[in-house]
Amino acid sequence: MADFFLQALAQVGSPSVLGLIVIGVLFGIIGGSIPGFTVTMAILVVFPFTFAMDPVSGVSLMVGVFVGGYSGGIVSGVMLGIPGTPSSITTVYDGYPMAQKGEPGRALGIGVAASFLGTLISVAVLVFFGPLIASFSMNFRPWEITALIVFALTLVAGLSSGAMLKGLLAAALGLLITTVGYDRNSNLRFDFSVPALGSGFEILPVMIGIFAFSQLMGNLEKLRDEQDKAKGVDTNVAIPYATILRDMASQKLNTVRSSLIGSLVGALPGTGGTVANFISYDQAKKFSRHPERFGKGIPDGIVASEASNSAVAGGAFVPTLALGIPGDLPMAIMMGVLILHGITPGPLMFEQNPILVGAIYASLLIGAVIMVLCQLLLVRWFAKISLIPQEILIPVVLMLCAVGAYALNNNLFDIWVLFIFGVVGYLLWKAEVPLTPLILGVVLGDNLERQLFRALELDSNWMAFLTRPLSALFLALAVASVIFSLYQNHKIQRTHLKARRDDA
Amino acid sequence: MLTLTKDRALALVMLIVVGIMWMESGNIRPPTSWQPYGSALFPRILLVVIGLLSALILLRSLLSKLPSRTAPGRSFGEWVAYNRTVLSLFALFAAYAALLPLVGYIVATLGFLVASLALLLGIDSWRKWAINLGISLTLAPLVYAIFRFGLNVWLP
Repeated sequence: MADFFLQALAQVGSPSVLGLIVIGVLFGIIGGSIPGFTVTMAILVVFPFTFAMDPVSGVSLMVGVFVGGYSGGIVSGVMLGIPGTPSSITTVYDGYPMAQKGEPGRALGIGVAASFLGTLISVAVLVFFGPLIASFSMNFRPWEITALIVFALTLVAGLSSGAMLKGLLAAALGLLITTVGYDRNSNLRFDFSVPALGSGFEILPVMIGIFAFSQLMGNLEKLRDEQDKAKGVDTNVAIPYATILRDMASQKLNTVRSSLIGSLVGALPGTGGTVANFISYDQAKKFSRHPERFGKGIPDGIVASEASNSAVAGGAFVPTLALGIPGDLPMAIMMGVLILHGITPGPLMFEQNPILVGAIYASLLIGAVIMVLCQLLLVRWFAKISLIPQEILIPVVLMLCAVGAYALNNNLFDIWVLFIFGVVGYLLWKAEVPLTPLILGVVLGDNLERQLFRALELDSNWMAFLTRPLSALFLALAVASVIFSLYQNHKIQRTHLKARRDDA
Repeated sequence: MLTLTKDRALALVMLIVVGIMWMESGNIRPPTSWQPYGSALFPRILLVVIGLLSALILLRSLLSKLPSRTAPGRSFGEWVAYNRTVLSLFALFAAYAALLPLVGYIVATLGFLVASLALLLGIDSWRKWAINLGISLTLAPLVYAIFRFGLNVWLP
């Protein structure tokens, strides 16, 4: 592995790829720092630019966006009190009060340092656990992979927003979308006599349509009030380096604990930066000698939040690379990039594309260093950029989405696919259907059908899914996750009812 | 009288989609002796799952003791008026997609950016027009140049 890592480092260290990582990190920070734009949107916008690149360059650019995006949320969180991305919600709890007390530079500096250390620790986790899980999953056969995909989808459906039935519905809809067009036996399905549907839907326009339109139109409805906060914000920030070194020296345990929580949560399907954020903030408060100071501008809170959400980046690569199952939305898109470049993530990737795996490790490390330098040197500019109003951002992003969808195959039909799935995504969002399971369904649909029928061709008995221990375990976990989510929903409903009775 | 809540509307639309897709699945080539599990099996499994889940959502919304989280009682006209910005933006995007093959990327993109920025920013001051035209006239050619000369991708 060391040889491959050195070869990958040589490729990633070339001036052109380094330049791409810098661009990726800069764009990621900008994307993360604009309220409502999110890491996922930044990744979607940059994705089309990788079409013409070789795999190492494309993946390095995307990893740069990843690393930058997870750290970018701190800028608007501290300056405006609005999390730039959902994974930096708890950063606001202490970052904004610290800025209000006249120390925005200290809050930003602590956040950047914690982000950097969180990324480094998560890379160590990825390097250690990725190959281990991949070698273990080499024993997986179609039954196990089918059951694992079903488990991942039910987990994501249950965790995404608490609406279990709608989450499962979204996952099944995502899978159904992948059945349009020619199948594995060259039979045509659901073309409705429209020739363009014969080749099915490209993943990219579907993903962009569903996510970007719902997000941007949702921002139009939600963020108008929040942007009023941007008026009169002082973006003249200076970083007090000596103070931050002292702060970080007193946060060693908190940094390691929060980074490990972030890596672990990132590695679980269905979770992500937001969940990691809350868990590590809660743990930091429980372990603190001054829990009463949390929420009032204490460094511990910023460290816990930023170390954990940045550590998610490395952790989330573990199931994506090792099992071919993306844990969250940004990773689903990352998987789309790999597939687009002819690489299938999964256990064999470590054997068949070790240099690319090494390039991902190296890009994460280099990206983290570039992120610190960019954040510390350009923080005033990022603070200014975070004030860009949604009214300007939305048309520009929609235009870039259209160009990206077209550039995939030089096909105008893909822009219509983008539009139609944009309408569908927006309506589903209005109906409070979680969109993450839908997008994961679209990404995993082909593989699920292929593995299911491979299993049935090898053994036509459906009971084989229950008689093979690992497959049975994954299916049992899937059922358990559904039951647990339903129980939670029931509990929430009972609490609402009780609250209503108490009010009456 | 029953009101049409979000959940009920979702469930009903899904059940209609399932019905249409199920009928269309009848056009898929049937199984052969060497393909005992035909191409319609997987989508039909999914259609059954979607149908069951939609029915459950509908049933739950009918039995729910909680008031709907939506704000019912808005007429279609009021709904359109309330969502006019979002609906206009969708319409502008559809027009953009339709115009791209007719007038080419630069003209269609300029038109889309100018119109959508005017819609969202407003048109009541010279400053807003300056921002609008500055962004549109810079971005449209810049993106074209990046794709055409930097990435070797031809835009229409």
